Amino acid sequence: MRFRTQLKNTRTFSKLTASLSSLGKVCWMRLEYDVVRFTVIPDQGTQVWAQIPVDTIFEESSYQLESNSDAVNIEINISLLNRALRSTMGASSSQLRLTKKDRMPLLALTVLTTEWTEGNMALATDGLVERRPAGGSATPSDVVGDRRARERETWITQEIPIKILHEDVVESLHEPHCPDPDVYIILPNLMQLKSISDRFTKLASTESKGQQQSITVAEPAASTAGATALSTNAAPKLELSANMHGKLRLAIATDGLRISSVWSGLVNPPLDPAHISEDRTSQLPSERMRETGDDDEAGWARVRIDGKDWGRVLSVGRLSPKVVACFINNTALVLYVYLPGTWNGEESCLTYYINSFTA
Amino acid sequence: MTTLSLSLAPPAIVRLHDMLICLSKFSDTVAIEAEHDLLRLSALNSSKTAFLSFACARESFFENYSFTTRQRSMGPGADRFYCQILIKALLSIFRGRVDRHKDTAVERCEMELHEDSQQAECRLAVKMICGLGVIKSYKLTYEPASIQHAVFDKSRAVNKWTADPRFLKQITEHFSLSAEQLDMYSDSGKAVFTSFTTKVMDGKEVLKYPVHTSVATDKRDFEQFNVEDKMHIAINLKDFKAAIAHAETANATITARYTYPCKPLQLTYDFEGVSAEFTIMTRGEVDGDFAPASSRSGIRELSQRQTPGAPISVQRDRVSREATQNGQMPPPPPPPGRSIKPLQGSSTQEHLSRSMASERPTASSLSMEFDSLFVPADDDRQWDEMNEEEEEEPQDILGWDASGRADAFAATLRDEEPGFSRNESKTDEAETEGMRIPPTQRISQVRGFGIFD
Repeated sequence: MRFRTQLKNTRTFSKLTASLSSLGKVCWMRLEYDVVRFTVIPDQGTQVWAQIPVDTIFEESSYQLESNSDAVNIEINISLLNRALRSTMGASSSQLRLTKKDRMPLLALTVLTTEWTEGNMALATDGLVERRPAGGSATPSDVVGDRRARERETWITQEIPIKILHEDVVESLHEPHCPDPDVYIILPNLMQLKSISDRFTKLASTESKGQQQSITVAEPAASTAGATALSTNAAPKLELSANMHGKLRLAIATDGLRISSVWSGLVNPPLDPAHISEDRTSQLPSERMRETGDDDEAGWARVRIDGKDWGRVLSVGRLSPKVVACFINNTALVLYVYLPGTWNGEESCLTYYINSFTA
Repeated sequence: MTTLSLSLAPPAIVRLHDMLICLSKFSDTVAIEAEHDLLRLSALNSSKTAFLSFACARESFFENYSFTTRQRSMGPGADRFYCQILIKALLSIFRGRVDRHKDTAVERCEMELHEDSQQAECRLAVKMICGLGVIKSYKLTYEPASIQHAVFDKSRAVNKWTADPRFLKQITEHFSLSAEQLDMYSDSGKAVFTSFTTKVMDGKEVLKYPVHTSVATDKRDFEQFNVEDKMHIAINLKDFKAAIAHAETANATITARYTYPCKPLQLTYDFEGVSAEFTIMTRGEVDGDFAPASSRSGIRELSQRQTPGAPISVQRDRVSREATQNGQMPPPPPPPGRSIKPLQGSSTQEHLSRSMASERPTASSLSMEFDSLFVPADDDRQWDEMNEEEEEEPQDILGWDASGRADAFAATLRDEEPGFSRNESKTDEAETEGMRIPPTQRISQVRGFGIFD
């Protein structure tokens, strides 16, 4: 088993790992000849399946992979990887490889940074000048440092502990199967969507806290009912809905408030005709939804999702991707997140599976 | 009767505040030691593996400084004054007081302290003289104490490097946040800094293992780099970071000196009349080459010769292992073996009084151990064959100076006199290293003969 590669686009790689680590710590990383897959399946909340072509983050010419099963499966703490990748900022070369130390498998990241030092100026000499030799000890006359301006080279090695997963172990892991979506729509700017979502979530959680207190004071009988309702439904749920006429609605409702935000003029992207035959297209639920009028509530597909979890999902916005949201009414929301530059070509795609809570 | 009065100008107030912040990373209390020509602020961490001292020179740091003392005892320590204060209390006085743009910005800080044996009150009076005639007065309670100093022999420290703290900070920034220890070595023109964690990990939770980060830099990036090649030496990363952070604010260049692993390392720098010294215990593999009379042999001798010493080292080692699991460096055990090759480099004065009762780590359990320093507990293990584990222990036995031992006496035997005689006798004993004879009697049998009363 062998894996070794030079990194490229370390910024993208770093942002990718940051987005993944917001959902869960443990990540299954599958290295294949053409693609690298990242999968995070947390105990609770949204799971993400990412498929990145090798040349998006790795230097293809230096990419070496050897394995009996045509793939290397590793389990890694994705936040440690993300933290380690910070060392690649401003690096002149970075290499990632599989290795072993004391029979412990490791993913070793080796980074070379070169930066220009201006000799004496870069290293505070003012301190040196003021220095008084303490206790008559040696003055810095035996300086070995080269004080001239030159390029400073620093090698950084980050050794991240990993687990090698056997093919048998990962065989049982499958991407979820979902029914055909009722509505698919391209999401608006994620930054905007996230800030509004976060604001709604915050409002609902502070409001429900306040509500709980006021009820306790006013009506002792109702307070118990209110409290149980809150404890079962602790985290505020956002209602996200969309139709096939380019509209997306984000709403939250609690006992005390009801707010919603509507985007219109969004794109419902056409399905790729290569994948779906003509007559099958007409049977798709999304086509039926399209036939429903713009102002008809029946044309909307809804999901109820956890506000905090949604906020974590939207952290993928840092990669400024294009996101197609597929609504399966009252069941699930699937996000296809395409990294920029790969919209039509070889696809870097992250797929998020978000379950809908029942009302 | 002891009187200390001093005043500080605004820049020195800022420096004092920075120093207190740095001291607070090591201990809750700052030890204040006044002499005629300097004021020393120091802190020793709870595991006694790191000692930090700032010596502020009378002439260059203070606006005014006067210290007079008249003590009845004429010992060598009589011309000093020691006390300790909660750092939090001192810090709260200085917090946010240095904004020069306010009308009521601090213009001068005056401190006064009068100690009279007739008076029970221990108060440090601090006056902040601010703009618009505002004067803020504080009275802080201090505790009488005697100061411990870590002893470090600069002349023996053959390894030495000097670097800009900003450069060192760039190195430490690559380390993961959970990293606890820092290993340093040099190899063929490179200085290599590696972070690691000694936490014992559960075999199943591989993914929670810490990341090992190593940063290799060119020796030329140091102002000076004179270090034995391929010798690994490890210190607590938190202490190192504290030193870097403070040296950076003081705009000073750090010098590190050390001999070999398991001996202290000292980081020093000077700025504006203050000389800072961080004495930090190191760990690592003690190689025969580096330590001919190393603690390894010391331990063996102990268990054979010095009956009283052995059980305590065993017990303390257990403590140290626990401490390691808690993410701290282990406390240095009172090293009876050290007297074979002690680290005393500075004047005997520094040894005089190290019976700082309040510095004792949590009392009861330890005082029991101290008891057993003289009356061996029923521990058969001292007769056991050295097992492998114990042979590794010397790595964790930190070569602190004889202070730990003196502490032990303070804990159990000290009267209200600062216990000079007690300690002195101990120091003497330590000084006549080679001729030392291990105790053959229990302390209970010795009582009543004067010297130990």
